[in-house]
Amino acid sequence: MKNITLFASLFMSAAIFTACNENDDIIDDGFTNEITIDGDVDCCSAEEARIVYNFLKNVKEIPELADTIDGTYRLHAYTASGKLQTGFNYIYFVVTKLKNANYVKDIAIENLTPIMTMHMGEKTMSHSTPIGGNATTLSDAPEALKRTWVSFLMPTAGEDGWTISYDLNILSQGAETYKKTIAVDALDDGQAWIKTFKANDNVYILSLVEPNKWQTGTNEIKAYISKKSSPITTPYALASEQFIVEQVPTMPDMGNHSSPDNTSLTLQDDGSYVGNINLTMTGLWRIHLTVRNADTNEIVAGGDDESDGFSSLFWDVTI
Amino acid sequence: MLTPIFLSIINCLSVNSDTILLSHNLDEVVISSSTPGKKRSLKGSVASIDEHLRELSHVELIRRGSYAWEPVVNNMQTERLSVTIDGMKIFYACTDKMDPVTSYVESGNLQTINLNSGLAGNPQSTGNIGGSLDLRLRRAGFDAEPWRSNISVGHELNGHLQVYGADVAISRSNVYANTGVFFRHANNYKTGGGDELEFSQFQKVNTFCNLGFRSSENSVVEGSFIYDCATNVGYPALAMDVAKAEAIIAAISYKHTYNNSFITSWETKVYANRLIHNMDDTHRHNVVMHMDMPGSSKTAGIYSLLNAMSARHTLRFNFDMYYNRLFADMTMYPDEATPMYMVTWPDVGSLCGGLSFADDIIITDKLNLGMSGKIAIQHQRLNNDEGYNAQKVFFPHMLNSYKQLTGRMAAHVTWSPNLWQISLGSGWGSRAPSVTEAYGYYLNNTFDRFDYIGNPHLHNESAIEANAAIAFRNNRLTISADANIFLFSNYIIGREESRLSAMTIGATGVKVYRNLANAQIINSSLNAEWRILRSLSWNAKLSYGIGRDDEGDPLPLIAPLEYQSSIALTIGKTRTLFTALGAAKQTNYAPKYAEVQTPAYFIVNMNSEYTKRLGRHSITLTIGIENLLDRNYSTYSDWNNIPQKGRNLYANVNWTW
Repeated sequence: MKNITLFASLFMSAAIFTACNENDDIIDDGFTNEITIDGDVDCCSAEEARIVYNFLKNVKEIPELADTIDGTYRLHAYTASGKLQTGFNYIYFVVTKLKNANYVKDIAIENLTPIMTMHMGEKTMSHSTPIGGNATTLSDAPEALKRTWVSFLMPTAGEDGWTISYDLNILSQGAETYKKTIAVDALDDGQAWIKTFKANDNVYILSLVEPNKWQTGTNEIKAYISKKSSPITTPYALASEQFIVEQVPTMPDMGNHSSPDNTSLTLQDDGSYVGNINLTMTGLWRIHLTVRNADTNEIVAGGDDESDGFSSLFWDVTI
Repeated sequence: MLTPIFLSIINCLSVNSDTILLSHNLDEVVISSSTPGKKRSLKGSVASIDEHLRELSHVELIRRGSYAWEPVVNNMQTERLSVTIDGMKIFYACTDKMDPVTSYVESGNLQTINLNSGLAGNPQSTGNIGGSLDLRLRRAGFDAEPWRSNISVGHELNGHLQVYGADVAISRSNVYANTGVFFRHANNYKTGGGDELEFSQFQKVNTFCNLGFRSSENSVVEGSFIYDCATNVGYPALAMDVAKAEAIIAAISYKHTYNNSFITSWETKVYANRLIHNMDDTHRHNVVMHMDMPGSSKTAGIYSLLNAMSARHTLRFNFDMYYNRLFADMTMYPDEATPMYMVTWPDVGSLCGGLSFADDIIITDKLNLGMSGKIAIQHQRLNNDEGYNAQKVFFPHMLNSYKQLTGRMAAHVTWSPNLWQISLGSGWGSRAPSVTEAYGYYLNNTFDRFDYIGNPHLHNESAIEANAAIAFRNNRLTISADANIFLFSNYIIGREESRLSAMTIGATGVKVYRNLANAQIINSSLNAEWRILRSLSWNAKLSYGIGRDDEGDPLPLIAPLEYQSSIALTIGKTRTLFTALGAAKQTNYAPKYAEVQTPAYFIVNMNSEYTKRLGRHSITLTIGIENLLDRNYSTYSDWNNIPQKGRNLYANVNWTW
């Protein structure tokens, strides 16, 4: 009886102790193993660092963009897949201090300039591509994590390749320019997430945002409309003109049947175009587009019936 | 003192039950034994269940092929009926209704098929408006013949149908067991005129086992098990065939009988069944896009049935609860492109509990009153998120779980003065929408070439029934007439939704299930039997039905005027039957629902049966010809008007010892 009481109380105290330990979860997620919280004011607090750390677990690093700066800092760049691909890519940046692997709060990545250099016989030609501008903080996220986007018009092909340059400013000490060669992969068959149209002697680019996250059912469809710059080696900024993008998704493999209640993409405060797209099953969806001038409602692009009775301006998404 | 009263009541009831069968909206077809005066298929025990079902009044069969016909009672299909096996709930697993649950058992498994027409269902039936069918299993029983074996062999020339069955039964006073094996195989059959109907082949294997054990004088434990597997089944009316349809059905029950008490018996049964159904389009020519369409249905349940009897009352109280899970999906393979996947039944789990009562009351020796009622609560949940999200595109405000409350009550009065019997009945009942009607997703219907989408916002369908029957019987002549009318509220049927585009290549459009404010179905039949001589009798049947939707237009799949006349001649041990049957042109067909008019037809059949008893051996030889005139015809219930069999010679032997 005495032994039982002893065991019972030992068991209960063990249970109470483990239950009462608030730091339980810190030990579990590997955070403390990798990052040292040493009170460095340049770096994140424990809470902020944890948020950034957990966020970065869901993305993968792009090796060719990593850099050591002054032997003290390290720049990391991430995308969802760890690679860059044709069309829209969110790119995330953090700068860590080598001594504690913690994230530096005050960083700026600006003037991103992606350039494609094409070799056509003896001549070379260079042009840029749509970008989202300077890297910014995400809402409700620590300032140590910065994000921007680049939408590549084409993939790396043989000699034709991309470079990207950007100005990095750590702790407002002064910006330094870095230039890297990057590889941009082509999308798989059945995926076409970047299209261009011409209106009023200008070229506009429609970039579809992360349709690989779509599932059967109702999804948010988001896109950016950028305008080709002059000179063309300047990154293409968001178009200042306002549009409305009507979309009709069909399945070309199934006699072009559509889905109901798809809404047009309209301009939001953050410069993106957002609507709702309904996908009734998995497979290849062809999203036929009609671009209208937001003020006059005139069709500026698409809206023809040359693709099996639907607009010949379309994105392809296979879910 | 009570015993003689008891016995005389039983006597009364048994005299009445025969006549009750005529007009009480109860009908029964006996499968395994030949009891004189009971309905049975002319082909004997070797006949398929569908052929036995045809003998029941108020029953028609929808044919999509040579196998697995769908029973229709009072011109209402599966959604409005309840089908149970020995009181066990079982649900078909194919989104295209290629597998009504009657296709998952063999005639050799059954003793009788009991039909309750209309709302006065059997205690375990739920959601029945048109009627309820209970397939009663064949058990050897206690204190029967200690040993009984049976072998059946049947063959039909048209389509080279072969049937082989063997079963054995042992019976003692405290234990019994019976088990058997059946095999059925058919090639494509020939229609009238000699053309072969492609994809009308099928093959099926079935085995069963029943055990009974008397644990004490008043306690009995019984168990049943059925395994049924059909393979390579063709459906000429549809675009796909079936690679495999497999069922495992098991039950165990405990029954306690009480002596000299108001409660006579109390039975509790626990059961489970699992159906798997896989469609197959690999044998078809010109398939636009290959598809895989598997489906599964799993059910587990319990019921507890209390029988009680007093001087004037025969009561039944029943509690039942079951959980059914239905899942089906579809993967389409376009050439050189990514497969397309969608969920067609979103893994719906239905938990349903019900309480029912039934009472047959003897008011006087000529007046009977029957009453029954049931209330049931069902909870359904869509367990597949992908399917739920897909249907949400069409119904953005739908939830993933729903509750339904349904019920039924019915009463009838039967008055039997002298040689007459007059019966009047009425009832009200409701049913919850079926899983296809509520949650089905892009299910193509080859009848009207529309894709159907389920509507989760449907209201329960309900109906008021009124029925009447009159019969006259003396020792030579039996004439009876009966009619019923069902007045529906919230009748569920698909209506075109023009803003949706069809998914199936070649489909006309999309229909979504809706509630119609009202609809009506009327059924009527006339029966006559004239025993001309002891060895010669004539039997005739006439039936007609009308269905109307909320706009007064005809409903689809309502039987036209049908007639049947037969003469039976018995010489010695041989009984020969000549039958002429047919239907008039279908004038009340429904073009609004894409029904095509079916022309009139006239068929002649012949059948001869010879039974010889030698000691404990009994041999029955049956030969016959169906469609003697080799007419090429199809009936209103032949899906897509596929033609019926042309001339068919058949012979079968049944040997029991």
